Amino acid sequence: MFDLSSRISKIVFGGLLVVIGFYLFFPIYWMITSALKNNAELYQIIPTFFPHEITFSHFWSAIAESRLLVYLGNSLITSGASATINTILAIYAGYSFAKYRYAGRQPIMLFMLSAQMFPFGLLLISLYPVMTSLGLLDTRPGLILSYIVFALPVATYMLYSYFSQVPDELIDAARADGASDLRIFHTIVLPISVPPIVTVFLYSFMWSWNDLLYSLTLIVSEDKRTIGPGLLLTYLNETNADWGGAMAASLLVSLPIVIAFMFLQRYFIQGVTAGAVK
Amino acid sequence: MSRLELKDVRKSFGTTEVLKGIDLTVEDGEFVAFVGPSGCGKSTLLRLICGLDEITAGQMAIDREIVNDVPPAKRGIAMVFQSYALYPHMSVAQNMGYALRLAGTPKAEIEQRVLAAAKVLRIADYLERKPRQLSGGQRQRVAIGRAIVREPRIFLFDEPLSNLDAALRVEMRIEIARMKERLGTTMIYVTHDQIEAMTLADKIVVLNAGRVEQVGSPLELYNAPVNRFVAGFIGSPKMNFLTLGARHGDSYALPGGEIALRAGLEGATTIGVRPEHLEIVEAGRSGTLGGTLTMTEHLGSDTYAYVALPGTEDLLVVRLSGERALKTNQKVGVALDPGMAHVFAADGTMLASARPVALEAA
Ligand SMILES: Nc1ncnc2c1ncn2[C@@H]1O[C@H](COP(=O)(O)OP(=O)(O)O)[C@@H](O)[C@H]1O
Ligand SMILES: [Mg+2]
Repeated sequence: MFDLSSRISKIVFGGLLVVIGFYLFFPIYWMITSALKNNAELYQIIPTFFPHEITFSHFWSAIAESRLLVYLGNSLITSGASATINTILAIYAGYSFAKYRYAGRQPIMLFMLSAQMFPFGLLLISLYPVMTSLGLLDTRPGLILSYIVFALPVATYMLYSYFSQVPDELIDAARADGASDLRIFHTIVLPISVPPIVTVFLYSFMWSWNDLLYSLTLIVSEDKRTIGPGLLLTYLNETNADWGGAMAASLLVSLPIVIAFMFLQRYFIQGVTAGAVK
Repeated sequence: MSRLELKDVRKSFGTTEVLKGIDLTVEDGEFVAFVGPSGCGKSTLLRLICGLDEITAGQMAIDREIVNDVPPAKRGIAMVFQSYALYPHMSVAQNMGYALRLAGTPKAEIEQRVLAAAKVLRIADYLERKPRQLSGGQRQRVAIGRAIVREPRIFLFDEPLSNLDAALRVEMRIEIARMKERLGTTMIYVTHDQIEAMTLADKIVVLNAGRVEQVGSPLELYNAPVNRFVAGFIGSPKMNFLTLGARHGDSYALPGGEIALRAGLEGATTIGVRPEHLEIVEAGRSGTLGGTLTMTEHLGSDTYAYVALPGTEDLLVVRLSGERALKTNQKVGVALDPGMAHVFAADGTMLASARPVALEAA
């Protein structure tokens, strides 16, 4: 092993972090500055790193764009519904995989995870005819269903890993106290599993919130369009490319998500099981 | 009345048989300790009695009612787990009242029973706290309290004190002894701690590899172990074992000397002598074993002397009472009273115990 505290490794790792940080944050920086530049500056051949003159006009026009609100609402409905259903399914599936022994448990789990190994663009090709034949094309349930298909395996696996760590003695104690299996799950296991459940919910939510491809393909109607394709088709279509507007609108619509994350992030680090055993 | 009866109880996990036919009776109000090396099946047996696992074969009865298929809560048994297993999101009061709440006990009665148990265990001031806000000893008390409020017919403890530090362990041991006096309920207690078993139990069950080796009172096991396993397991420091050499009549060669055993013992191969039945004397005294004193340990109340005998690997442990100044790395004699020797046959069964009186009793 090399020494992590040595000067050289500090410099190497520090440099690495700067590079990674740049990749992570530069796009956000570019989004913000682009949104604040006026069109003349925005389309200069040699882009400016810092806006010479700050303008909020892109933001005002984005707020005035009423379609954005419809898209935002649609995204909230599809993402909220798919994340909720997905989390509920993953909770029960994950717990069953973690704490019950039955034939076929391992194969079923592997089978579920194997769905994750295909590029999701590829799966869209087979999903499309399925949706068509089920009459789910251009419907919200269809889109929600396809999001669940993709987020469920990983969500289940995440909760499976967590539930596996719930001490068996805790469950045994409740059983000895006279609780039924479902009762144990709902009154003992669930209450101590809030942080991982919130994490899984956010993961599933992000999955559908960030989606462009599925929504763009499966939804045709304007009134059901979600925010990703909505932004794209509003600002960057065949006839014009309003980069400043796109950036300002993107920033505005990410605000609710950023705020939600700030409130929920404490769940990620909270350790609720402390004091249960030992 | 809470009498527990096991008849040829077996338990297998898949193809491995962990318990290989346990016959055992625990009388009403008795305090029974299960001891045995780690992995011998103590916890498994306790879980079967509790009803957490199903027995593979055999019969289990509580007060003459066969409970093989009765779920845990209906058996009237409460178990205290090694890891405490407190519900982390519930307060102490909620933890203790959980079983009663499930059983539909009226709220007022739950509160009153929880408070009564908490007072006895001196945790009444912590009823609103969460387990993580308690010390190890307090958590242990809550775990015991959770069992007490149910007023079970039988208490089960699975190494309840093994997570506590030495001082707290002694304190809780006394607490459990008091609880036994006060409640008079049947209790089964798994431990690997000799002192806990010897001091608390009316009856000790020695388990080894899924079988009962011996059942008896602490002193019976100490004085008249039925075989070499029990002899070596009960007592601390462990019993010394010496292989018998060439025989002349009733006299046998031993490393560094010889011993004359009781007449008529056929098939004797090994003797066992407890450290407290040996004495260090000057080298060369007749009738003693000659060896080299290699090390001493001073415990204040006792001194342990370790003697290397010629031709043996294991050091002979001699327990001397009080402070004894001994020079190490010198030749010494070890005095051995033949009447204090346990004699074992090749298969480990005991041919003669140290005290003939106790042997007749056994
Ligand atoms: N659920 C189980 N599945 C398979 N083997 C088990 C299970 N529980 C216990 N065992 C095995 O049974 C044996 C006895 O275990 P246990 O009763 O816990 O021993 P101990 O006397 O240390 O409490 C061990 O070898 C253990 O590996
Ligand atoms: Mg055990």
